[in-house]
Amino acid sequence: MTEKVLSKQNLNIFINTLLSRGEEIVGVKKKEGKYAFGKIADAEEVCLDYDITLLPPSMYLLPQREALLKFNIAERPVAFPVIEANPFILFGVHPYDIKAIELLDTAFSTDNLDTNYLNRREAATIVGVDCLNPNPNAFCPSMDTAFTDKGYDLLLTDIGDSYVIAIGSEKGQELLKGCPDTQEATQVELKRKEEERQKALGKYKVALDTPLEKLPQLLDKSWNSPLWDERSESCLSCGSCVMVCPTCFCFDVQDDIELNLVEGERYRQKDACMLVDFAAVAGEGNFRKDKVSRYRHRMYRKGKYIMERFGRPGCVGCGRCASACLAEIASPAETFNLMKGESK
Amino acid sequence: MKPKVGFFDFTSCEGCQLEVLNFEGELVELLKLVDIVNFREAMTEKSDNYDIAFIEGAITTEAGINRLKKIRERAAVLIAMGTCACLGGINCLKNFRTMEENLKIVYGDAAHYYNTIPARPVDAVVAVDYYLPGCPMDKDEFIALVKALLLNKKARLPNYPVCVECKLAGNVCVFEKGETCLGPVTRAGCKAICVTNGRHCWGCRGLVDDPNIDSEKEILQKHGLTTADILERFRHFNGYLEVSK
Repeated sequence: MTEKVLSKQNLNIFINTLLSRGEEIVGVKKKEGKYAFGKIADAEEVCLDYDITLLPPSMYLLPQREALLKFNIAERPVAFPVIEANPFILFGVHPYDIKAIELLDTAFSTDNLDTNYLNRREAATIVGVDCLNPNPNAFCPSMDTAFTDKGYDLLLTDIGDSYVIAIGSEKGQELLKGCPDTQEATQVELKRKEEERQKALGKYKVALDTPLEKLPQLLDKSWNSPLWDERSESCLSCGSCVMVCPTCFCFDVQDDIELNLVEGERYRQKDACMLVDFAAVAGEGNFRKDKVSRYRHRMYRKGKYIMERFGRPGCVGCGRCASACLAEIASPAETFNLMKGESK
Repeated sequence: MKPKVGFFDFTSCEGCQLEVLNFEGELVELLKLVDIVNFREAMTEKSDNYDIAFIEGAITTEAGINRLKKIRERAAVLIAMGTCACLGGINCLKNFRTMEENLKIVYGDAAHYYNTIPARPVDAVVAVDYYLPGCPMDKDEFIALVKALLLNKKARLPNYPVCVECKLAGNVCVFEKGETCLGPVTRAGCKAICVTNGRHCWGCRGLVDDPNIDSEKEILQKHGLTTADILERFRHFNGYLEVSK
């Protein structure tokens, strides 16, 4: 599809037009020197030149906690599914987060269709923005997530005084109809876009020493490496690496009952394989009792298991985990590079 | 038959009991499920016939030990409510001085009228069935425990650190703001209320089952705390534990 160009000033008008017609927009805002997704009330709040958000936008598709069904166990027990999905626009999503959402799409539509996720996904319009100021812990180029040509409805690229807009879907095209003064992008503008992207690629500070497709093989050889013990020694089992991860989708399902002891709900909430009780089972058993097995498991998920199952890596190289880890052991790139160094 | 419930206070600020009285949205529903038969802070009537005993406060006197043992004999279920009861809490700060010194500091010339023993949590004296840690204890956890007891279900506290809830709350990490925090080793369940409101975690809910204390201490040191600072930090609420010694 042809690409459009929109001045920055007109983008703000566009956002406010959407807001005034009642669209719900979730976008990136400043938060204590960092950035976070949140509900947008005015275009002025929207940041599009951010490096990374504290939490990934996928939490608006797979909420930290959501009801799955409501039940009543009075005389004749009954249960009703709960599916909440209201249309909204996820505004300013970086390509690595778009690719993380694509992984969730695959995971939640393979085998069992996850109605809750898929309905919410259907209700979402994704407006992406190219990441031109990567976070120092990011290694997106190595994970093939620095840029994307799909997975969005619209994708913006900052070329100085305006944005180039790529249209990724009919939904995106439709949305853009309400936008004032978009022009066809000229060859000069498209060249600017390419230049900006190349410049951004030069800003990444971390890179994988192993080609992406060779990660499973590298890990196959590394199971017994002493590095796992060394790396995980200082692990706090605090789950921070998982809580901030855009690709982690594990959840726990529990029931909660009202004080009347008859009405209640079954809900799911985010769970993390780095937590001690994640693999705990009845009878005091725990499949991953020690931190080294949990630590290794997470890295295998990121570099091998997910890749073998869904054909794409379980890590998009955003670097959020590395930023969140106080013990400074969470970066998959750093870990894989150490394994690579050792296997030489 | 509704279970009979008693609330009993030992050495504490009585804030956890007050917290129960603050359950304005839930009290009416709660009272449909249980009979409160002993609650000094809230009612005049007193009965020694109860099934469930909520214990608030640390144990700091010989008389307290005897009273607590009697309550344990009468109650089928005994619950330690709040940090003082669960961990000894700030009362254990006095354990780092001699009892004579403490009496003198607090009572001066009248010290000889009083007696005191090193502060200890409830489970150092009698068996505890359930814990509701926190300063003050958390309303949602209290209500979840009552419901679990009534339904004969197992009630469990989170066995992961505050970091989990803090991250989910979308907070900027305390360490990133140049401050220090006990969140990485402290049991969650508080929804990271202190950090969410701009402070740091003081560890009032005690430690997770298997905390990585060495790593936490190293991180605290790297962020500027001395060994003495670290001990002081842990002692604030966790003075009874090995980590503070």
